Amino acid sequence: MANTARQKILTVVGNHGILIAFVMFMLVFALASPKFLSFENLQSVVRSSAILGVMALGVTFVVISGNLDLSVGSMMSFSTIVVLDLHDKLGPTLAIPTMYLMTLGLGGTIGFLVGYLKLNSLIVTLGMLSAIHGLTLTYSGGKNMDIDDKSGTWFSFFGQGEILGLPVPIILFIALAAFLGILLAKTPFGRKVYAVGGNATAASFSGIPRARTVFNCYLISAFCVATAGLLQASRSMGSQNTVGQGLELEVLAAVILGGASLLGGSGTILKTVIGVLILGFIQNGLLLIGWPFYIQYVITWIIIILAVWLDISVKRGKFWATV
Amino acid sequence: MNTKKLLTTAIAATVLMGPALAVAEDMRIGITQNNVGVDSYQTTYESAFIAAAEANDNVRAVVLDAGGDVARQIAQVDSLIQQGVDAIIIWPTNGEAVIPAVRRAHNAGIPVVVTNSNIAEQGFDFIRSFSGPDNVTQGSRSAEIMCDKFKDMGIENEAKVVQISGQPGYTTAIERAAGFEDRLPEVCPNVELVETQPGDWNRERSQQVMEAFLTKYDDIDGVYSGDDNMGVGALNAARSAGREGIVFVGATNFSVGYDAMAEGEYWGSIYQSPVDDAEAALQTAIDILEGKEVPFLNYFDTPKITQDNMDEFTRPVF
Repeated sequence: MANTARQKILTVVGNHGILIAFVMFMLVFALASPKFLSFENLQSVVRSSAILGVMALGVTFVVISGNLDLSVGSMMSFSTIVVLDLHDKLGPTLAIPTMYLMTLGLGGTIGFLVGYLKLNSLIVTLGMLSAIHGLTLTYSGGKNMDIDDKSGTWFSFFGQGEILGLPVPIILFIALAAFLGILLAKTPFGRKVYAVGGNATAASFSGIPRARTVFNCYLISAFCVATAGLLQASRSMGSQNTVGQGLELEVLAAVILGGASLLGGSGTILKTVIGVLILGFIQNGLLLIGWPFYIQYVITWIIIILAVWLDISVKRGKFWATV
Repeated sequence: MNTKKLLTTAIAATVLMGPALAVAEDMRIGITQNNVGVDSYQTTYESAFIAAAEANDNVRAVVLDAGGDVARQIAQVDSLIQQGVDAIIIWPTNGEAVIPAVRRAHNAGIPVVVTNSNIAEQGFDFIRSFSGPDNVTQGSRSAEIMCDKFKDMGIENEAKVVQISGQPGYTTAIERAAGFEDRLPEVCPNVELVETQPGDWNRERSQQVMEAFLTKYDDIDGVYSGDDNMGVGALNAARSAGREGIVFVGATNFSVGYDAMAEGEYWGSIYQSPVDDAEAALQTAIDILEGKEVPFLNYFDTPKITQDNMDEFTRPVF
């Protein structure tokens, strides 16, 4: 009897293992640093996680469809540099849609190669990682890009503005997460994404167009990257060419941490958001505690492993795997 | 890139036209750079180097770029040895890994000058000179700039400072931090450095670090950043948190830092010109070839720049 009750509790929390891990880390950090749970700090962590978060939303679609996107970091650098440059040349009203179109073009190219030509997504996007970096450098000539008149433009609204006291990046992140969450969970398109990632052969026998679904996933990812670039550009009003470098792995870590399977077919937007927040709060918590920073890399890794272990233990009902 | 092509063509043309044009004291100097195009500093360095080489009739330059790739740089050094250049200038992609190639050049009797960032100590026997900025001095000068400002404000006995350093493990980051940390207690013994965290040479990362500092400490009077790019990130954080009266001091004056100084929001920095850097490297190589006495650590001067004297300097191009 006691055993079945235990099983029941485990099934209930089973779907939310990562949430439990999240709450536990928040408690530990809150005990270690009194300022950790202050409203200002929570708000500033969510705001600075928004850029990574917006990118992770798009990559969630790609991962669920059974593919990878390692190009999002350098694609984000591209969007940032392009929108900053066009801002001074065309004005913000034209610069933003032009940047979105150019980024969608890159996403479409990847989607075409992976979806229609059926090339391996790891190879395509790993290649794109350096190819897009090259494009960005060619575009900018290697120079840092800065908006000339930083105070005389409404462009700063996206990264620094507020609506009803809430920072715009947070609002955009929440809105995009809600929209994409519904798209993924409640629409026929969303079910196609799961189907294609879960079992591509079965999906195609059921008449689900694999190529078009994958293509659309990469378009969504590119749209999210463009939004992240917009937030980044508007937040600092200037940028290096390498601003997004390395983010592709952090994004992937957040998505996987949230519980999406690298093999495709599983994952949700909500879990990705939790993965993003865990990464953001680990970074912030370690800064606030102020440990020597060389060791922080190691501690970050330990926390991630603990979170994944806890998640998986809750799912299978025990800490150890049976052989 | 076009200039590079032009120059190569020009060199080829000179070679083809034969001995008629070649002067006896012609010096062939090869340079392999770290990663042109990755940032404005390196891009400007390359064009300044080419311009300086073109301006000198006795110098013929072979300009190569390793694109950040160690293996490519080693191959480039070997190819310069094969071409039999008179001197090699190298901007190391990696201070350890290039040493064997540098030794081969040394054994072939070709003097090697290291530019911008030095190679590891075990390679010192194989190079003739290091030409570049003195990062320790830069760090201590930043400490002096900050201390002088505190004295002007009359807070030299209670001021609290945070530091945002460069990427952990990078020589430049370590040396600047060491210079700052050693000098600050000498000039301002009562100023406290409360915490140091890395900003990884990244403006966005530095902004996040500064946000955490602002949450953690109610009283911050000064911020020292390992370069202006990170310094401006920290300034952005303070600006959006509405915290005023903080003294920002950086190093390697970037145009964003220069502009923030002009607006009165950023106090000072260290002026390090890629043009001076490139010209110093070329001059060091020329001096060695002409048999002049050259110091092993041949630093070029990187002066202090603050809101008070900034009109003596032109706005940085990067």
